[in-house]
Amino acid sequence: MTRRVAVTGVGIVAPGGVGAPAFWDLLSSGRTATRGITLFDPTGFRSRIAAEVDFDPAAHGLGAADAQRADRYVQFALVAAREAMADAGLDAATLDPWRTAVSMGTAVGGTTRLERDYVKVSSTGRRWDVDHSEAAPHLHRAFSPSTLASEVAEQNGVQGPVQTVSTGCTSGLDAIGYAFHAIEEGRADICVAGASDSPISPITVACFDAIKATSPNNDDPAHASRPFDANRDGFVMGEGGAVLILEELEHARARGARVYCEIGGYATFGNAHHMTGLTREGLEMARAIDDAMNHARLDRTDIDYVNAHGSGTQQNDRHETAAVKRSLGDHAYKVPMSSIKSMVGHSLGAIGAIELVACVLALAHQVVPPTANYETPDPECDLDYVPRTARPLKLRSVLSVGSGFGGFQSAVVLTRPGGSA
Amino acid sequence: MMSPGNRHTRSAVVTGIGVVAPNGVGAETFWKSTVEGISALDGVSREGCEHLPLRVAGEVRGFEAESMVEQRFLVQTDRFSHFAMAAADLALADAGIGEGALGGTPYSVGVVTAAGSGGGEFGQRELQRLWGQGPTYVGPYQSIAWFYAASTGQISIRGGFKGPCGVVASDEAGGLDAIAHAAGAVRRGTDTIIVGAAEAPLAPYSIVCQLGYRELSTCEDPDRAYRPFTPQACGFVPGEGGAMLVVEDAETARRRGTAIRATVAGHAATFTGASRWEQSREGLARAIGGALEAAGCSPEEIDVVFADALGLPEADRAEALAITDALGAHGSRVPVTAPKTGTGRAYCGAPLLDTAAAVLALEHGLVPPTPHVQDVCHDLALVTGTARPAELRTALVLSRGLMGSNSALVLRRGADPS
Amino acid sequence: MTDQLTVDELAALMKKGAGITVDPNEMEQRPETPFEVYGLDSLGLLGIVGELENRYGRPLPPDADRCKTPREFLDLVNTSLMAGA
Repeated sequence: MTRRVAVTGVGIVAPGGVGAPAFWDLLSSGRTATRGITLFDPTGFRSRIAAEVDFDPAAHGLGAADAQRADRYVQFALVAAREAMADAGLDAATLDPWRTAVSMGTAVGGTTRLERDYVKVSSTGRRWDVDHSEAAPHLHRAFSPSTLASEVAEQNGVQGPVQTVSTGCTSGLDAIGYAFHAIEEGRADICVAGASDSPISPITVACFDAIKATSPNNDDPAHASRPFDANRDGFVMGEGGAVLILEELEHARARGARVYCEIGGYATFGNAHHMTGLTREGLEMARAIDDAMNHARLDRTDIDYVNAHGSGTQQNDRHETAAVKRSLGDHAYKVPMSSIKSMVGHSLGAIGAIELVACVLALAHQVVPPTANYETPDPECDLDYVPRTARPLKLRSVLSVGSGFGGFQSAVVLTRPGGSA
Repeated sequence: MMSPGNRHTRSAVVTGIGVVAPNGVGAETFWKSTVEGISALDGVSREGCEHLPLRVAGEVRGFEAESMVEQRFLVQTDRFSHFAMAAADLALADAGIGEGALGGTPYSVGVVTAAGSGGGEFGQRELQRLWGQGPTYVGPYQSIAWFYAASTGQISIRGGFKGPCGVVASDEAGGLDAIAHAAGAVRRGTDTIIVGAAEAPLAPYSIVCQLGYRELSTCEDPDRAYRPFTPQACGFVPGEGGAMLVVEDAETARRRGTAIRATVAGHAATFTGASRWEQSREGLARAIGGALEAAGCSPEEIDVVFADALGLPEADRAEALAITDALGAHGSRVPVTAPKTGTGRAYCGAPLLDTAAAVLALEHGLVPPTPHVQDVCHDLALVTGTARPAELRTALVLSRGLMGSNSALVLRRGADPS
Repeated sequence: MTDQLTVDELAALMKKGAGITVDPNEMEQRPETPFEVYGLDSLGLLGIVGELENRYGRPLPPDADRCKTPREFLDLVNTSLMAGA
């Protein structure tokens, strides 16, 4: 008999608010959290806008030692994980540590701290033979990406399989996908799964400047993230962290936990095309969608909502529209498909987990979040993108997709209890 | 273990090995050096590193990048991806999979790597441009060269492999976890996964970042810097390089008429906290137990153990105890080896080199020695000095990471009869 | 550096920025051969545009990084340089 995987808790730190209620309030109102960058002085950069989290570690229970030791992206994850554990009615004292796992995604990990200390040890970029005496004592924690999952595991007393996943901008979906496999295949009963990134730092902003992937619409940051709109001109960088508690369904039922929904299926493929480029056809993403739906034993017409990658670059939105049409056929025109990146920006590795939390909340509230800023249709993007206003809708099964640098194409299907899983 | 569908009818086997290691490039050269116990540990010579307090490392010096990787990748990607791409080519050739020789669809081949340090040298160069000259001096390839997913992406694109692609960005044990991912993908239905890890953590700033590890050996003498399981243990020496393997469904390999080198029989992973070495005893013992259970293997069947061998007294003690905790009396009799004392620990690459060495050891019936190590002070049958001939059917590979992961992998020689 | 971008300079930029070796004579004789044929990808061209913008201290036309061939690119860049001179 197949082990089924339930979502029993969510936690989130996202631009516009910390915690699921604030996050859902932002999404359902269609407000945007994009603005001019304040985390550093962006003078001289092409794109000077981002969706930042107003985050005070102390206000969220992180002590001075935590804040000193853990990078911003790790702090996001710790706060999100604590919310998710509480939401699931779990605590470290009652978990079976050896049957609990952690799977966390990040695209750029500790870059922000690595860069900050680099400036010190290199005399502001003047020397290759850097001076180690200027380095901070916790720098190795920024260097090692496994710090993310390790910190979340220590916070919750987890002793089962613990891993960090880093597949660029699909890291969040893939971390949750790997967690899904771990529970389905019996390696764990509970998995703290999610993703976190805090990429708003000079080096990461500059590297997307260099390939003109981010929006240069610095004069109107609130309307700069325009997925699927004909006038889109790149993505707006974001930051944040999200955690879902995945749990074997019978395990969740036995302890009387509330089940938000089930993970019905997950799949990922490489496009073997280009590290940043996407094809016009979207064959590989379509295949990921098909595989995820098959695993969930769903027909294309069962999908009630598509949570898009919708980054707002010209090529992504075209690629993705083609992929969804290929998988869902005529049904693609009937199913709403929106991108919350219009509101919370694109937080690289974190966004896949943030978007899955949005999907869980959409199922819980029976409301589809909108694509903010969508005004002018693009002939190549001709689906129902839920312009500007959230839409109440009967939702049973939803699909979330993502694309990442390196060619990664991933899809996750969520289904409600009593749905057709 | 629950398993839907036909998963248990599919078995993941190793059919190709590609090595880029400090003691040799190519499986044959690597094995020769490993069996002879030749150490490649030496002073750090990478540019800009000479003044740093890390004095000894395992550098990959025999790697002729120009002859193994196209010029454009030398410019567009980091050294860690050069290693990985070259190792992937070697592994594919070793498995008899030439260009265009794959039978199935592109979706039947995936790529999984583990990465614990990313493209540090490339990243440092771009950071220098940004902070020394200005934001517009950061080049376009920074966006794809530094990040942990770079090698998986490049190998997938270069080979046209569209199957499941993944990246475990973990501490050392992530190397074994990546192999488990590959085996899982094969059991779920993908025919072939190119899996492994190669690291290049010996750039100046990357080294500065590692200095915070209290486990790092700063000894200046290459013969004394990394001596696990001895009273003189003073930490580990980092290395670079790693290995890629071709892991296939056994039936696919048989259909291709390719030799099945070893079976990935079982794996398990646990977590006991960063640098909590005493606690790693229980974590590692449980990982071993889990891997044996998954492999349907009794402790007495283990013929050789490739140890993690961190080189810190409390960590070595924990590992020695974990081996006997998990294997019982057999644990103090079974030959244990740690050839990585001759190469250094290339983070996620280290357990990949151990896995490559384990497959070769099974094939050759030889347990390679542990260079630099003589007076063992734990209850372990550590193989030192010269290689020991033995009838080897089953190998156990262990790895622990600096961030707290423990991982164990069971390999069987040839195709698993079960 | 002259005030016009030459084929030789373009070949040197392709080599330095993207690791692509091109014979400048061949490129001069067949300027319509797409960059793609030489193995220069979209990121490589973006890098060349960025390098030139830093060198000249001003932006090139927005279409510069979308040029498909050396001829198209050289014409666009040199027209822009003339106009700005």
